[in-house]
Amino acid sequence: MTDSHWTIRAEGLSKKFGLTLRQSMAYGLKDTFSRLVRGRTPSNELRPGEFWALKDVSFELQQGESLGLVGVNGSGKTTLLRILNGIFSPDQGLVTIRGRVGALIALGAGFAPLLTGRENVYVNGALLGFSKRDIDDRLEEILAFADLGSFIDAPVKHYSSGMFVRLGFAVSAMCQPDILLIDEVLAVGDLNFQKKCYDYLHRLKQRGTSIILVSHSVGAIWALCDKGLLLHEGRVAVAGSVQDVLRAYNDQNAHGALMQSKQRRSSREAARNDHSLSATYGGQKGGTGEVLVHDVAVLSLKNQAVQTESLEFGEGFALEATVEVKTAIVSPLFRFTIDAVHYKYIASIDSLEQGLRLNTVPPGKFVVRVTVPDQNLMPGSYIVNMAVCQKGVDAHLFFWLNTASFQILQPTEKFLYSEANAVVYLGGEFSFEEVGGDQLRGGMALEFKAAS
Amino acid sequence: MRSISELPVRVFSARIPSGNIASSLTRVVQEVWTTRGVIWRLFARDFTVHLRQKLLGLLWAFLGPIIGAASFVFLNYAGVLNPGNLTMPYPLFLFVGMTLWGLFTSVITVISGGLLTHSDLVLRTNIPKVTLVLSGTANVLYLQLVNLVILLILFIFYGVVPSWWILMFPLMVIPLMALALGIGLVLAVIAVMARDVTAMVTTVLNLVMFITPVLYARPVGHALLQRVIDANPLTYLIDGPRRLVFLGTMESAPAFAVASIFCFVVLALGIHAFYLVQDKVAERL
Repeated sequence: MTDSHWTIRAEGLSKKFGLTLRQSMAYGLKDTFSRLVRGRTPSNELRPGEFWALKDVSFELQQGESLGLVGVNGSGKTTLLRILNGIFSPDQGLVTIRGRVGALIALGAGFAPLLTGRENVYVNGALLGFSKRDIDDRLEEILAFADLGSFIDAPVKHYSSGMFVRLGFAVSAMCQPDILLIDEVLAVGDLNFQKKCYDYLHRLKQRGTSIILVSHSVGAIWALCDKGLLLHEGRVAVAGSVQDVLRAYNDQNAHGALMQSKQRRSSREAARNDHSLSATYGGQKGGTGEVLVHDVAVLSLKNQAVQTESLEFGEGFALEATVEVKTAIVSPLFRFTIDAVHYKYIASIDSLEQGLRLNTVPPGKFVVRVTVPDQNLMPGSYIVNMAVCQKGVDAHLFFWLNTASFQILQPTEKFLYSEANAVVYLGGEFSFEEVGGDQLRGGMALEFKAAS
Repeated sequence: MRSISELPVRVFSARIPSGNIASSLTRVVQEVWTTRGVIWRLFARDFTVHLRQKLLGLLWAFLGPIIGAASFVFLNYAGVLNPGNLTMPYPLFLFVGMTLWGLFTSVITVISGGLLTHSDLVLRTNIPKVTLVLSGTANVLYLQLVNLVILLILFIFYGVVPSWWILMFPLMVIPLMALALGIGLVLAVIAVMARDVTAMVTTVLNLVMFITPVLYARPVGHALLQRVIDANPLTYLIDGPRRLVFLGTMESAPAFAVASIFCFVVLALGIHAFYLVQDKVAERL
């Protein structure tokens, strides 16, 4: 077993914080006093106004393994990192750490703006635990890594933020720790520098350094980590392989967006106490009053047309609405449109387009339903809008924005990491061939330069 | 890569930092010694920064005390400062007193604000907190060295020959430093929770100066005031070394010894208190 090769073992770590400064001050003074006088800390229960920033977090990390820490803002990632770095002491549980901890949290710590880059290397190095001689020995290496040219002798206050981080990273890079903690610093510098950072981190991993990376960038976590930990409100929501955790994280984000759209819907509906329709655009709902739509639902096809909020990747669905026709309408048409989180009207499903031709519809109640057997929406959250129009009239008889929402879950058979903003998945077949001689082949073959 | 068994093991847990005063004292010595380079580097950093982009540069360190001393001399010539029968020139007497008092208060101020000044480093590095707090004293000591130089100039100016005890002067101020460190360390952790504590202490210290013979010499006319002054350990810690420098004797040597012991007890308690609470500090910053 690899059991004896762990470098970090966290068992039931918990940490509580106060919400307001006033309470924080009062509790702080009280705790200080009780420690000094009675020599013990107060109970582990929450006092009024306190919350668990971290609760019962346990995990183990082996030598050379890397862990991606994800979660929404305030889920406890930074708190956990600070506990691992020995800055916060836990309120419950314990963490055992084997080896020297390097923290890219300390990037550029102690940099004095008036000092030159070179001078600051010594300051930052000292704070990371290096003597002057250690730094003298590695100065060339550091300067080469930072690659700041003659700016190294300019005061740091004239540096761009990118240059600042490059220098900080270069100093941290030389410390070759057994455990490295990284908090959202990889997306800096130009592409060359970013690549250099990743190369360096992979080299460290191969040598046996355990890495913990906190990031909101799924790409960064995916690039570097073997394992993942999804924190939610201070607790471990999912732990496991990096794919599983990132899937859960993406689903969680999509679910958050779904909840937001639901909340907007319900708050607007609550704000309307009359059932009159506005005959202008601009609101969430409006129309001429000839026709009303009551319920719009997303139905799962798999589960005998049950109303649902989440669909599997690629899973077919149906949209259904109850329509109340007040006065007879000549050739009405029904249109569902779909919004993604960042884009409006990414899809439109129109009854006329899809071939449903209606003659005059008399007053009464009807159900309109469209079945979509295949869909290729990317995982994420989507909003459904509904409209009733009339053939020959370029105006809405009725419109209702954000009438329903649904979420497409991450697929389990493939991992879609590449582009968070994409809304449509297009399955394709890639090929990759060398271009023979100087005859260029047309089509989709990618150019490839063989390393000689 | 070293094999896993060679790696140093550290445990962070919820248990209260255990230990008695002795273990706290061992720890402080150990931590300060292993991180002495950091103290030096931070001092060098602040010192260099202080000199950058300044026309007068290093002169600034001397300018303040020189103007202070000059004003004493001027007031003395003008006849305003004339505290009666002293066997030494009053400006000299005053300068020594003010230097000692300044040392005491500035150490307290610097130490008690130490964690707040370095909050960024507390939150981002794992340098021992005591190191960060103590690093501020380097600058205070440097300024005191400057003061000593100016003191020598003043001695020459007045043609006064100090006693040989002046060589012992740096040793004589150690108890005063210890007291200031002890008080400062306790205040440092409290100041993190309640930010106005340092301001309160500065105000109180201004009042304490009046019951300490800094500006005047003992004995004073008022009986009750005299008793308060006699009970104040600072009296012996400041007036003692001063008399020794000028007169070569210290009339209240036993009291100085007792006061010194008191100072080291305060220091030990201060260090212990600091270590008991320090792990709760970062989250309040």
